[in-house]
Amino acid sequence: MSLKTVSARHIRLIASYWIRYVVRSGAGLVFLLIALVFSLTVAHIIIMPVEQIMAQQTKSDQESNREKIVTTIVELSRPVIRWTLGIKSDEDDALFGAMKQGISSPPEVPMLEHVMAQAQPPTHPWTTFLLDERPALLSIIFLILIFSMPFLIAFLAFNQIAGDVQNLGLRYVLLRTERANIFIGRFLGTALFSTLVIAVIIATITFYLGVKIKIYPAGLLAVWALHGFLALAISTLPYIALCSWISTLVDSPFLSLVIAKMVIGGVLLLAFLGSLAWRPVIYLNFALPWGIQNHLLHPQLTHSLGTTLACLAYMLVFLFLGYYRFETRDL
Amino acid sequence: MTEGKRPGGLTALAVLNFVFASWSLIGMAGMVVFFTLIGKIPTENMDEKARMQMEALQDMGLSTLILIFTLTVVSCILLFLSGIGYLKQKKFLGRTLGSVYGILAIISSIVSGLMFDPELGGGFNIGTIIGLIYPVLTLILLNTTFKEDFTN
Repeated sequence: MSLKTVSARHIRLIASYWIRYVVRSGAGLVFLLIALVFSLTVAHIIIMPVEQIMAQQTKSDQESNREKIVTTIVELSRPVIRWTLGIKSDEDDALFGAMKQGISSPPEVPMLEHVMAQAQPPTHPWTTFLLDERPALLSIIFLILIFSMPFLIAFLAFNQIAGDVQNLGLRYVLLRTERANIFIGRFLGTALFSTLVIAVIIATITFYLGVKIKIYPAGLLAVWALHGFLALAISTLPYIALCSWISTLVDSPFLSLVIAKMVIGGVLLLAFLGSLAWRPVIYLNFALPWGIQNHLLHPQLTHSLGTTLACLAYMLVFLFLGYYRFETRDL
Repeated sequence: MTEGKRPGGLTALAVLNFVFASWSLIGMAGMVVFFTLIGKIPTENMDEKARMQMEALQDMGLSTLILIFTLTVVSCILLFLSGIGYLKQKKFLGRTLGSVYGILAIISSIVSGLMFDPELGGGFNIGTIIGLIYPVLTLILLNTTFKEDFTN
């Protein structure tokens, strides 16, 4: 086993072939359909109330009231954003916000009572960033997609190695190139294909918001769309690498898909259910990027960059485990 | 991959065609029952949005209804036949009829968006884009990725 056998030319060839092959094989087609339909349905559900308000205003010959529309968006988005960021209530949000802003209460007044008594209680800076400083509609769509994309990505990435091992097809490819090139090339092909699909999804939603809804400045929409696209693309890389590793462990594509689903969903479920009995179990989330992926949309750029590096570290760990297994196993 | 062996993606397209054809059949049956009973549905206790939708449906002309029904029947037949064509890798039954379905579905989406009131799902919204995903994908895949696989 040696990385000296890695050839950039072979990897490029295998990756480009894999992008074309993944749709022919069916897995890519299924992923493409499910990802497009799911993502656009989420966007439709989020955007529909806004369109209804705009239609009502048009029907009653009112001028488009941006304030009312933005208030509706913020009211709709706040519960979802709080849920994904782990903020349980208005009181939690206000306490977080007060802590971050350095607000203190008089000695005889409890902190919570002091902040809630204010005309405009403070909110968590992250909530304020996502709802007020950035297009809230896009923020909520991105958070939902970052949460759901790991489940969708398994449909694309489950069969990188297992199928060819099962039908003994790999031995013909291994006459021409090395195992490392096949493993890395297929991972890169899968990652590129998923990035393309995510780009189409984000471009469609952003274009629709810009051309049809028209409540956000085009520049702000474009910048936040780019940030969201990068966050989504980076958040999927560790899960693709995980599926690569699982694909090297088993000889059956179906089993590879089942195990990938169980691991991705199981870690999240176990962490949530276990934490109800014993709080520290919540840290099981960090076995996968579940515990950090939302931080790709953090207000501070350094925080987002740190999370990016962490996601890439997860990806490298899973890739190494998969590469080691693929290099040493009998095909 | 041996020549003539059907790619998995084409099989997946065929299965999806049969699924959507079945949904269309069920939808058509529902449509027939609904429009038969539509005049007898009381609207007094409905909320405003539901009442507006019901009134828009009741005001829909017979010619519009016939047009919707015909388009649905034709799409259903094309989906079913092209699905068989994909499985048998037939040029006319698969690629040609599949492309015709794609074009027809795209035209139907555009026409229904222009003809119907927003209460009935008309106009252009993300729902229209969702409805266009499968026909557009079918057109692209049949004429690029799977172009050489229709050998019969």
